[in-house]
Amino acid sequence: MTALERQFAQTVAEQKSTIYTVCYMFSQDADEVNDLFQEVLVNLWKGFESFEHRSDIRTWVYRVALNTCISIDRKKKRRSSEVRLTMDINLFEDRDEDTRQVDMLHKRISKLQPFDRAIVLLWLENLSYEEIGQIVGITAKNVSVRLYRIREQLKQMSND
Amino acid sequence: MQNDMELESMRQQLDTLKEKLNQQDILNDHIIRRSMKKDVNNITRHYYIIIAIGLLMVPYGYWCFVKLCGLSYFFWIVTSIFMLICVGATFYNSRKISDPELMSHSLVEARKKVASAKKFESNWLLFGIPAVILWISWFFYEIYQIQGGDFNNGFFWGGCVGGIIGAVCGIKMHFKTQRQYQEVIDQIEEIVAEN
Repeated sequence: MTALERQFAQTVAEQKSTIYTVCYMFSQDADEVNDLFQEVLVNLWKGFESFEHRSDIRTWVYRVALNTCISIDRKKKRRSSEVRLTMDINLFEDRDEDTRQVDMLHKRISKLQPFDRAIVLLWLENLSYEEIGQIVGITAKNVSVRLYRIREQLKQMSND
Repeated sequence: MQNDMELESMRQQLDTLKEKLNQQDILNDHIIRRSMKKDVNNITRHYYIIIAIGLLMVPYGYWCFVKLCGLSYFFWIVTSIFMLICVGATFYNSRKISDPELMSHSLVEARKKVASAKKFESNWLLFGIPAVILWISWFFYEIYQIQGGDFNNGFFWGGCVGGIIGAVCGIKMHFKTQRQYQEVIDQIEEIVAEN
């Protein structure tokens, strides 16, 4: 392994929960999470050398993960021979109380448009409006407007 | 008030998810190594194959159409020009999405590039389908000329019916995908317009 490869492996290990959370919120089943996760890793690696730490690593990981999940072509045939993620839990099938809570969050977020899904996810991660704006590509003011609308939408969903 | 409670409960649910994930390994060495070996993504590879086939069709066309079947030089020249246009368009479109830093851009910027490349691909059918129909008709005509009018009717009409069915399916798919891309572009415009 080269120094760059070691650094990449270290970064991925540190950011695994962030990557998984984004992939999970943009998936409908465990296979899709697996595919998205691997696609995100490929895109992270492609941009890793030129990243140069100009911005915070977490912000960059979010940007690549969200871009991959929003842009990926879901009509493409899945590659069944891919290496699987190492997980003892299945968030789509397990039925304990914690998983039920996570599933509720997944259902709420899944009903939103992809960009809104990204914004609310970043907001739930306690990122500032400026940071969210930088990742999405809009102003902080615009983020607050979008979030207001998303809140209204979520409220409507819970009333339905 | 209800909004805040709603969002607060969502934050708690996200914390629960993070806690569950932190207890998991998720990754193994194979996954990381595999991702580092993939230099060229599938889209770019798909474009390279189209470009290679398009370029190979020029010499192959000469051998197949002119030498083997005895079709006219003019038919081969026009076929070659059509192939080179396809190669040029494919290369132009592949440049839009082959940037290794594409996914490091902001969501709006990256999505705009991907949507534009997909829309170009979809719009290409508007030129491609009529061009292929014309080419096939011309091909049959050339064969018909060589056979001296004694052309197998079943082969000819079967080809025509197949061509029409293919064209109808292609156009239907084209409009469906165009609608989907337009939705994406509309969403980007909506999100950007609020700036």
